[in-house]
Amino acid sequence: MASRKLGPEFTYDLSEFRRVDPDLIHYEQSAAVGTGLKEPRGIAVGPEDRLYVAGDRAVRVFGSDGRAAGDWATQMDPRCVAVAPAGTVYVAAADHVEAFAADGRRETAWKPAGQPSLITGLAAADGDVFASDAAACAVWHYSAAGELLGRIDGRPAPAAAAKDAGGPGFIVPSPYFDVAVGPAGVLLVANPGRRRVELYTYDGIFKSSWGAASFKIEGFCGCCNPTHLSALPGGRIVTSEKGLPRVKVYAPEGRLASVVAPPAAFDEAAAGLDVAADSAGRIWVLDPLARQVRLFTRKKTAPAEAKP
Amino acid sequence: MSEPKKQLSRREMLRRGALGAGLAGVAGTAAVLAARTARSGTVWQLDPEKCIQCGNCAVNCVLDPSAVRVVHAFALCGYCDLCFGYFPPGFEPDDEFETPGAESQLCPTGAILRRWTEGPHFEYTIDEALCIGCGKCVKGCGAFGNGSLFLQVRHNRCLNCNECSIAAACPAGAYRRVPADHPYLLKGEDQKA
Repeated sequence: MASRKLGPEFTYDLSEFRRVDPDLIHYEQSAAVGTGLKEPRGIAVGPEDRLYVAGDRAVRVFGSDGRAAGDWATQMDPRCVAVAPAGTVYVAAADHVEAFAADGRRETAWKPAGQPSLITGLAAADGDVFASDAAACAVWHYSAAGELLGRIDGRPAPAAAAKDAGGPGFIVPSPYFDVAVGPAGVLLVANPGRRRVELYTYDGIFKSSWGAASFKIEGFCGCCNPTHLSALPGGRIVTSEKGLPRVKVYAPEGRLASVVAPPAAFDEAAAGLDVAADSAGRIWVLDPLARQVRLFTRKKTAPAEAKP
Repeated sequence: MSEPKKQLSRREMLRRGALGAGLAGVAGTAAVLAARTARSGTVWQLDPEKCIQCGNCAVNCVLDPSAVRVVHAFALCGYCDLCFGYFPPGFEPDDEFETPGAESQLCPTGAILRRWTEGPHFEYTIDEALCIGCGKCVKGCGAFGNGSLFLQVRHNRCLNCNECSIAAACPAGAYRRVPADHPYLLKGEDQKA
């Protein structure tokens, strides 16, 4: 048989896009915590900057120094976790949310809101809990007691439609759809299919959005990013992406502020990089392939952050 | 008053229809296979979970072009406007609703077809006459999307050699013999169907 070869046009090469200007990387990894879980899926930071990790039918708790501080088993397979300021821990399976006391005692299991349902993100504020559902392409708004208060789908209300207040709703092509509580009653929702972050009131009224599709470091790459997001002190927002796994911080108005971790910090196949920030602005990044949560802190040499 | 029946969205309808059509295509080769494989009862197939898209499938088959083609698990597809199994890395459209020219497509042979369905959603299909089974689109879809594009030995072409030359060259050990009455190793919901 004659030997055949493929030409260079058949090569798939992302190396050019994995390179990041080192001057933009203002964070460095300062610690890594082994989760002890085979499939860690979600993380959150709670009171006293404790770190919560969910996966493998369990929740594990670590102190702000990364030392193990407790754990408990769950009856469902957790996909994500959020902790309210008062300490209640909310854990979501694909189709419902359960609430736990800080000591791991299960308090309630809430009725599924959507059918079918695939909850991939949770956020908790004082008195409100939000669950982003990738199957329903909507965010469910609950009271802290589990009463369903509303459904946020990102579509403009009929009266506002003419003003294009929200757009075509949440576009969720893959099972990554996250929600976070921002400052002053603002809800942050990743709209991955539109490669942007959208801001809503708790009642679901669209306020603004930022972000653009781009492989450049300031944009969101691929078909559907960001996959995860979380609010930092001062209103900045940390996001993570798949495809080109990278973690970045944006100013409140959406300007890229710094890179936390470039693609080179992760395995090429890394995805599901859940992010959470503590009160000091340190950023925890879940690395499911490494089964670790990695702590990133600002470099001492990093330039001062611009005031929002 | 009776409740109105829940209407299927066009996208969902397309998704279900396409799944049916895809399976019909696969089933259509079963009769051809039955005659071709009566001898052994097994045929060669490529496990998409082990495939590393090295390109060997395209150049090591005794057939030219190869018997391997890309297939699409529509049930897994996100129907993305910016599909990076279709667009090359770094592609940034002026208008994501415009279908670009060949110079802005990932596939070197132009074997992927893009068609608008509804809203910001597009359907991607494979022109098997143009596909050579290089797997470049599979890499892009796996990196950024849901991995709905994958390679399979197409049994309307495969000669079912005793010693498959692609299997011998596969660095991932992804080739194995499978029962001729279940000749495809499909991904996602297609597999269940």
